Amino acid sequence: MIVDQLILPLLMVLVTLSVGAYIVAVLDRLMAGAFGAPRGGNVWLAPLTRGAWLLTQHANATEAPDWRAWRLAPALYLALAAIGLAVMPWSASLVATDLVTSVVLWGSVEALATVVIFLHGWSANALLTLIGGYRYVALGLSYILISMFVLIGVALPAESLQFTQVVASQEGLWNVLRQPLGLPLFLIVGLGMTFWGPLDLADSTDLAGGTASEVSGPPRLVWDIARAAMLVAFSGVATTAFLGGWLGPWLPGPLWVIVKMLAVLSVLLLLGRWLPRLAPERCVTLMWVVLLPLSFLALVWAGAVALWE
Amino acid sequence: MTESMNHGIGVDIAFVLLAALAVISGWRVFRTDSMVRASFFLLVSFIAVGAIMILLAAEYLGVAMFFMMAVEMTVMALFMVMFMMNPAGLNPMNMVHQERIAIGAGIAGFVVLGAMALFAAFPERPLPTGLDPVRSLGLEMLGDSMLIFESAGIVLLATMIGVVVLSSHRGRYGAAAEGSMPPGLAPGGDPAGKSEEDEEAGGGHEHHHH
Repeated sequence: MIVDQLILPLLMVLVTLSVGAYIVAVLDRLMAGAFGAPRGGNVWLAPLTRGAWLLTQHANATEAPDWRAWRLAPALYLALAAIGLAVMPWSASLVATDLVTSVVLWGSVEALATVVIFLHGWSANALLTLIGGYRYVALGLSYILISMFVLIGVALPAESLQFTQVVASQEGLWNVLRQPLGLPLFLIVGLGMTFWGPLDLADSTDLAGGTASEVSGPPRLVWDIARAAMLVAFSGVATTAFLGGWLGPWLPGPLWVIVKMLAVLSVLLLLGRWLPRLAPERCVTLMWVVLLPLSFLALVWAGAVALWE
Repeated sequence: MTESMNHGIGVDIAFVLLAALAVISGWRVFRTDSMVRASFFLLVSFIAVGAIMILLAAEYLGVAMFFMMAVEMTVMALFMVMFMMNPAGLNPMNMVHQERIAIGAGIAGFVVLGAMALFAAFPERPLPTGLDPVRSLGLEMLGDSMLIFESAGIVLLATMIGVVVLSSHRGRYGAAAEGSMPPGLAPGGDPAGKSEEDEEAGGGHEHHHH
C-alpha cells in the first residue's frame, strides 16, 4: 500500500520534474539557435554544464537577509511545480493524486506561487529584488484571476473539479475548440508566472535580474530548475484542461500526454521568443483591461456552450 | 472504537504533525518582528488547518483555504507595509500590543474551546458511503441557503469597495492625488527636500523619492 500510494507517485512526479526541466532547457537552447542567437557548446550538454557550474559557485549573501525565507523560496517554488505535476493525469488510472478538487488545488498553486515569488524578492533585503517582488504581486493577482476564470470554464462541461473528469468530458470535442479563448489566455498566464521571455518582468534585466538578482550558486540553480519545472507543470495542466489529456487514437494514453506536453512546451518557448516586451505598467493595464475581460468572455462562452449541449 | 479504525495510521500521524505545525506557526506570528513574516507565518498556520480539513473529507473547503489565504495574506502584508510607514516591513517591529487584554482573551478562549472539546457530547455520525463533498456543498450553498450566501457576498463586496474608496482617498501627504511628493515647508509652497538643480533639469523623477 505504501509503495502504491506513496513511493510510486512520488517517483513519477520526481522523474517528470527533472526530465521536464532538462527538456525545457534543451528546447530553449535549440530555439535560441534557430533564432540566430550565438550558441555555446553542445545543446544537450550545456544545461548540465551550467547546472554543475552553478553547484560549484559560491552562494551570494546580502546584508541581513531573512535567511530561512530566502533559502526556502526557490525550494517552495519547486514544490509548487511538483504539486501541479502530481494532479496532472497521464491516463484514466495513472495519476499521482486523483483529488476530487484537483482543479482548485492547481488554482491554489498559482496563488501560493505569488507568495513564494514575493518572499524570494523580499527576503534578500536588497532594493532590486524587492522591486521585483512587488512587481510580481501587482501582476500575479491578474494572472491568478485570468487563470481561475478559464479553469472554471473547463470545469463547467465536466461538471466536476477533478482533472480526470475534465479530460473525460473532452471525449467528443477538445476544450481547445469548445472554448477557443481558454488555451491562449492560459498560456500567457503560464509565461507570466514562470517569468519566461518578455513576461519575465519580476526577474527582468531592467532590474538586473529582479527577485533573482542577488541569488547565485546552488540556490540560483534551484530557482532556475523550479521555473522550468513550473513551465512543464503549466504544459501538463494545459494538455489536461484544453487538449484532451490522454485522449487520442493509436498511441497509449501516457504517450499522447507526452506528445501534447512537448507541443505545448514548444509553443510556450516560441511565444517567449516571439512576443514583444511591454513595460510593467502597460503589462498590468493589458492584463486588467484586455485579458481579464476576455477571460470573463471565455467563461460566459463556456457557460452558454455547456447549457446548449 | 471499530468505527474510528477505518482510517490508516498515516492519517493520525499527518493530523498530529499538521496540528503541531498550525499551533507553532500561529505562535510564531506573535514572536516574529516583521509584518511580512507575521503574515506568512499566519498563512502557514492556515495551510496546515486546510490540510487537516482535507483529512476530514472536506476536500473543497480545505483546498479553498489554500488559495483564499494565499491571496489574502499577500494583500494583507502589502497593505500593512503601505499604511504603517515601515519601509517594506524590513525594520524590526513589535508584533503585540494591548497585552493584558490579549492574554485575558486568549486564556478565556482556550478554556471555553478546551471545555467544549472535552465535555461536549459530539454526535456519532460517520460519513455516508458515496458522499460527494463538492456536490453536497454546492447544493447547500446554492440551494436552500442561497439567499444568505448571496446577500453575504454582496455585503462583503460592498465593504471591500468602500474600504478601498475610504483608504485611497487620503494618502500619506494629503489627498491621494498629491502623489508621493512631500508637502511644502510653507502652506501651498514647493515640495520640501527638492533641490534647485533638480527643478531646472526637469524629468528624472526617480531621484526625488529618497
